[in-house]
Amino acid sequence: MSEKRPLSEMPKGLKQIVEDKKLLKTKLLIFAEADMNSACDFCRFVLLLTEDALVVGTNNKLGFSDPDNKEIDYSDFSFTEYKISELSNPTITTYVVGGMFSAKIGGEQTPICAFTNAYKGRVMRIKEILSVILENKEIKPERLFEDKRDEFCHKCGMPYPEKNRKICPKCMDKRKIFFRLASCFKPFKFKLVLISVLCILSALVNSVWPILNGTLLYDNVLAKNKANSVFEALPFEDFSIFLLILVFMMVGVKILQQLFGVIQGILVAQIVPKVVADLKNKVFASIQHLSVSFFTGKETGGLMSRITSDATNVTNIFIDGLPFILPNLFTIIFSCMVMFATSPLLAVVAIATLPPAVIISIKLEPVLWHYNSRRFQTARDFRAKLNDNLTGARVVRAFGREESEKVRLQKVNENVAAAQTDAMNFDVKYTALYHIAQSLSSVLTFTIGAAFVLAVFKPQMTYGTLMTFTGYVSLLAGPANFFSFIFRWWSDSMNSAQRIFEILDAKPEVTEDPNAVPKTNIKGNITLKDVTFGYEENREVLKNVSLTVNQGEMLGIVGKSGAGKTTLVNLITRLYDVTEGEILIDGVNVRDMRFSDLRKNIALVSQETYIFKGTIFDNIAYANPSADRKTVIDAAIAASAHDFICKLPDGYDTEVGSGGRGLSGGERQRISIARAILADPKILILDEATAAVDTETEKNIQASLKKLVKNRTTLSIAHRLSTLRDADKLVVIERGKITEQGTHKELMLKKGEYFKLYQIQSKALAMRGIGD
Amino acid sequence: MQEKDILQEEIKEVEKLLTVNKLTKENATFSETKGGFITLLLDGEQKGQVNVICTFPFTAPNEFLSVRTADDKEEELGIIENLNDFDEQTVLIIKKQLEIRYFMPEILKVFSVKEEYGHTYWSVLTNKGKHKFTSPSGSSGSVIRNGNRVIIKDSDQNRYEIKDLSKLTPKEMKKLDLYL
Repeated sequence: MSEKRPLSEMPKGLKQIVEDKKLLKTKLLIFAEADMNSACDFCRFVLLLTEDALVVGTNNKLGFSDPDNKEIDYSDFSFTEYKISELSNPTITTYVVGGMFSAKIGGEQTPICAFTNAYKGRVMRIKEILSVILENKEIKPERLFEDKRDEFCHKCGMPYPEKNRKICPKCMDKRKIFFRLASCFKPFKFKLVLISVLCILSALVNSVWPILNGTLLYDNVLAKNKANSVFEALPFEDFSIFLLILVFMMVGVKILQQLFGVIQGILVAQIVPKVVADLKNKVFASIQHLSVSFFTGKETGGLMSRITSDATNVTNIFIDGLPFILPNLFTIIFSCMVMFATSPLLAVVAIATLPPAVIISIKLEPVLWHYNSRRFQTARDFRAKLNDNLTGARVVRAFGREESEKVRLQKVNENVAAAQTDAMNFDVKYTALYHIAQSLSSVLTFTIGAAFVLAVFKPQMTYGTLMTFTGYVSLLAGPANFFSFIFRWWSDSMNSAQRIFEILDAKPEVTEDPNAVPKTNIKGNITLKDVTFGYEENREVLKNVSLTVNQGEMLGIVGKSGAGKTTLVNLITRLYDVTEGEILIDGVNVRDMRFSDLRKNIALVSQETYIFKGTIFDNIAYANPSADRKTVIDAAIAASAHDFICKLPDGYDTEVGSGGRGLSGGERQRISIARAILADPKILILDEATAAVDTETEKNIQASLKKLVKNRTTLSIAHRLSTLRDADKLVVIERGKITEQGTHKELMLKKGEYFKLYQIQSKALAMRGIGD
Repeated sequence: MQEKDILQEEIKEVEKLLTVNKLTKENATFSETKGGFITLLLDGEQKGQVNVICTFPFTAPNEFLSVRTADDKEEELGIIENLNDFDEQTVLIIKKQLEIRYFMPEILKVFSVKEEYGHTYWSVLTNKGKHKFTSPSGSSGSVIRNGNRVIIKDSDQNRYEIKDLSKLTPKEMKKLDLYL
């Protein structure tokens, strides 16, 4: 359970003023803020609701009060008190963005304040409680609390970028996430250490290169001078042998470099895919346990990218980032030591001229990254458009729109080209600028170094030493660059990691009671007691619905689209939990039942049929994977699916793709009916089960359904009322409320909404000559 | 007999649904209440408070306005084909109403745009005052560009408009360039 906070909690500054001015005579029920006046100018408002008055305060200062000022100054607010007895008809008029809160004051509907979406929830709650007070009803105590949540980060005061995700990317505890992430690599501890050792070794080998390539080559071998070098200890005098040795050493260094690289690559290849796969598995596993509401709240696309790219993102820093920190640091220190030992003055010059290149890299790298992401974005758009055109090929041809489609695609294609040009242009300029800055630094170092060689400055330097020195200067560039972007990289991947952990840590809204009593034998008595439910707060889809269905009975649910019929069955299967009231199956609250018992005994055939990738056999056997061929065929026959399956070349072995490509709507529906038949549930829910099939097939399915509903409790939602005639009981739902209940006969006699609907349908059908 | 009546009634209702009731200055009189809401007198019948809805909010904000009852049913009372056919006073009150309904502050000045951790942080001056907001970056749909007109949606689905990009200073354009 999330923490609850009383809605009467006020900011400190406001509380002080309210107390000083004695604004409230009775206890505060709800405090809310709004951000616009009735003319829709940004403006600060506070609303204070007590049982006998609504106090509205504003400073009438135009302009949005800066979110950076965490403490709003309430001292210049002026307050107006409206007695509850003066108010009536509190109304929220919702606009495209936000809305307006108004009430009848002195006989005239008067705006109180307006708000943008960020403040909508609270103001709606004020309106709700005000209505309750005005209707003289009792305020439900839980409506005066809300889940603990804030709009702004506690630390830095910035608004949270995503309102329903209370995480400030700047202030989140990156170290904690890092250590948690590091635990994924635990099984590879040894290999990671090995990678780091290899990194240090290759850094060492790298640092030897400038010596071989500089002093040894020029000052010793070419200058035929054995002094102060590794050759001094050797007994030869022939410098061609020394040259040979040097060449071997150089080749050896290069081979070592590559060898370390190869071993490292192999190790990385062993670790990364496993960790990425492991993370993906974990994310996928925890997604399976989440409630349906989690999926309706997020875009599927966002979820996909979380599973795929975030996991990869996160592991990259462990492989391409962290192991290189030490070697890079080592390279910097070692190079600097050699440089300062060789010539302190020149070292200072070299290091002082390094920053321009680093600054260019820090400043421009993100811009380059931006251009590239725009390139990917346009490429994605292009793919989407192409996909659109190819899948819609029939429509395009049917309307003769080939030419205009060409133009449409061309436009998107031009965008891709333009984005590519931009990115490439910038890349070229950036690279050039970076290299110029880098070259300037080495040219300057080289010039001053050359002056030392020419003995313009003292002490004199040998040519070989200068070459070694410049070698080290260029060795510095890599690590400097590395450290310029590692920090950004680090926060980006910690952000990705955070997103992954959020899914791993997400608590399902609908949870199984750990003390749930096993109940394998369900009879199928369903009772709803005063059930109220809404997908969003303050928007009730079902209001105080009560009904009983006895075991083995068939209940028909009738109503216009959007009336709440599907929501009702979603609650019985416990895809969602009721807001108020309770649902009992055989007298047991569904909240006290195990998911497995519930799901095993309830089968759903809905208007959205989903066919998984696999054979038709697999799809029918989905509900009961242990079913044998005979049972599956029996189920298919009962669902009138057998005939069309037999006509397919591969019969029950026909592969059907994701989304069931190749099957018509009616065929898919029949497969899902067969699935339900195979599940053999005690409670069967038919949600427009025959909506997508032709009349002939519907008759067949109706016949098989008649067989199927025997001895089961059936809830059937249908637009075609003739299919519900045999129902033991019918309920009519209008705007979330049950308005009529009874058998077909009773409701026809009642001559209410059902009668009206039935008449229209049968007459309309009769007029077209297809009625019964 | 009764069944026939119901059918007749229903047919009438359907017909009513299918015909567009054109609102003109001859048959419709709009007036503003003290509280700033709009009421409609249609063919001499007082319809009470009404809402006016743009059917083309972006491309033709003054044409084909749907006028609906302000209750839960939101029944359409008629369509205004072109708002400018009405008298000045009516145009004024309806425009005022539309401005509130399609609340979309105009960005006049861009102080800073910063991208961090997958979100774009905006700090701007709008015609409604100084404002800061965050939009999810990289997600299509948060920035809609149509020629020189740009609409930005923030994470709360509030909208902001830059009416004419060419009126921004080159410096501001440079700040914006990457985010459009």
